Amino acid sequence: MAILDKNLSLRNRNKILVGVWEDEDALVDAAHALVDKGIHIHDIYTPYPVHGLDRIIGVKRSKLARVAFLCGLTGLILMVTMIWYMYVIDWPINIGNKPVRFTPSWIPVMFEGTVLCTAYGMGFFFFWRNRMLFAVKNDLLDDRQTDDRLVVAIETVEGMNEAEVVELMKSKGAVETKEFQAVCK
Amino acid sequence: MGHGHHIEIKQETFSMPAKAKNLTLIVMVIGLVLSGIGIATIDHNTNGFVAVSGHHDAHATAEKHEGDHAAEPAKHEAHEGHEAAATETAHEEHGNVETEDFGPRVTYTSQDKPWATRIWANLLVAGYFFTMVSLCGLFWYAIQYAANAGWSSSLKRVPEAIFTFIPVPFVVLLIAAAMGKNDLYHWAHYEHLHLGPNDAGYDRILAGKAGFLNTGMLFILPTILVAIWVFLGSRLRALSIAEDSAPKGDTTNFRKSIRLSATFLVIFGFTISIVAWLFIMSVDAHWYSTIFGIYNFATSWVSAISVIAVTVLYLKSQGYLGLVNKEHQHDLGKFMFAFTVFWAYIWLFQYLLIWYAHIPEEMMYYQPRFENHKVMFLGNFFINFALPFLFLLMRSAKRNSNILAVIGVMLVIGHYFDVWFMVFPGVFGDGITIGFLEVGMFLTFAGLFAFWILNNLQKRGLVAINHPYLEESVYHDTGV
Repeated sequence: MAILDKNLSLRNRNKILVGVWEDEDALVDAAHALVDKGIHIHDIYTPYPVHGLDRIIGVKRSKLARVAFLCGLTGLILMVTMIWYMYVIDWPINIGNKPVRFTPSWIPVMFEGTVLCTAYGMGFFFFWRNRMLFAVKNDLLDDRQTDDRLVVAIETVEGMNEAEVVELMKSKGAVETKEFQAVCK
Repeated sequence: MGHGHHIEIKQETFSMPAKAKNLTLIVMVIGLVLSGIGIATIDHNTNGFVAVSGHHDAHATAEKHEGDHAAEPAKHEAHEGHEAAATETAHEEHGNVETEDFGPRVTYTSQDKPWATRIWANLLVAGYFFTMVSLCGLFWYAIQYAANAGWSSSLKRVPEAIFTFIPVPFVVLLIAAAMGKNDLYHWAHYEHLHLGPNDAGYDRILAGKAGFLNTGMLFILPTILVAIWVFLGSRLRALSIAEDSAPKGDTTNFRKSIRLSATFLVIFGFTISIVAWLFIMSVDAHWYSTIFGIYNFATSWVSAISVIAVTVLYLKSQGYLGLVNKEHQHDLGKFMFAFTVFWAYIWLFQYLLIWYAHIPEEMMYYQPRFENHKVMFLGNFFINFALPFLFLLMRSAKRNSNILAVIGVMLVIGHYFDVWFMVFPGVFGDGITIGFLEVGMFLTFAGLFAFWILNNLQKRGLVAINHPYLEESVYHDTGV
């Protein structure tokens, strides 16, 4: 889908060297070896979290927290506007002589609206960023990466000795190696 | 941190540095000196804060009553005489009878109290606060067991040490309640009047609560509950000690601990509120709040987490707890953050429920607190929520030892103040201030508490060496 960031899709990238592992300890050692050789690992797809992998391959800190803050702010503004319009402008009601302006009864609405927008916003943007939204065609390098295999993706760059990289992956316990070539490139 | 290099697990023995010993001692001495100055400077013509209101009859009655109570066993004639006088006083106070239905509305923050009330009230706050914080130390490792949590096992000795403090503040609490009962709790004062439904000054609300709010209950019930907690806590401790000497890989003690922790958590959930009702909520005996128990739990739980975090950071700074790293610190920071928000939630919603319901009787808690002490009321919210919230929101603040330690200390002070603010306006009404006595009392107990924790940590190895999840804790990682 074109509305998504093109760089996130593997389809718009160079040829990708794919290595498949069975064991996460071997994978961690392999990731160390690859990084030590100066090879940039594009990403590693695992069906379960492997601790420490993000640090090894230099994954940047997620921006999800900032997105969450903005979603929360949106929710807060939305709710204040809504209740102010309903309660002050459109239809003021005398409830036990409580004043028709900001009162503590607004706080639960503001709170719930903030939480709602934060939760749904984070969910939406998380799935968007990970290309898991409904109707987004996702790029599975290997079908088993959602099941029991750990898949390493290395994007080829100008001047990379591909044979050497593949050889290194095999020597470090890759049970399978292959290439992924985007169709549209 | 992460894979790649192996971390060696070895036992550590903590010995308290002379500097820490001296510092805690100095804090205690300063606290005692300040308390002494505070006590010496209380004007004896006041109730501790405010000048006694004027009409001497009432004052004399209160003093007579005090003396009367001291020599309680079989003083019938004296009691009767006193009763008549007291009824008269009560009658006088009831000038502003509003409706028949809700009974007379009386300002129960009567100023006719002996000056020593301020001492007992301060001891009550200190005893109560540190009892609850110590209890939450046990709550900490009970939830770690019940949740099968591994990450915290490398710092398990710290909450264990915190819980051992509980008998000290609890005894102080009982002494404070025993000495100042009639002046701290107006239901206790009322109890001695023995009024029937037809007597002037009869109070339907207090009479209705008399089955629960009475002297016997005040002392016996909390003692039983603390005894149960201490029993379960010492059973858990025994299992923990047995685990240290058990062969590696033996999980019998661990499994027993899980069951015991679950038992404790159920009992804890039902009983912590009772202690809060009896000692603190009954200061405003006409008032009640169904959320009060959990509000007190939130206060003491945040404080306990802060104490754990500060102690861990201190031990780290002295070169101990080699297995604890920034990841654990980060999670302690998250815990502080989460329960700071939880406290604010409960703090607000206690008010909100009352505000919504619009029942005048329930306003008697907030009226004197908000109208007369706006700065303290809002300052409480600021120091316990707004400030720590904004700091702890940042990842970098949670991973910075200095910032986290400062926030931890601030939260402990803030929540001590929170408990203080639950009690004082209820006992003294308008005119309360934070003086030498309040500061001194806090410093005395804080110094003693710190000394006790560090001293207790010396008694066993700092690492729970045979804990089945210790290795999981060592490789704990909160991610990038």
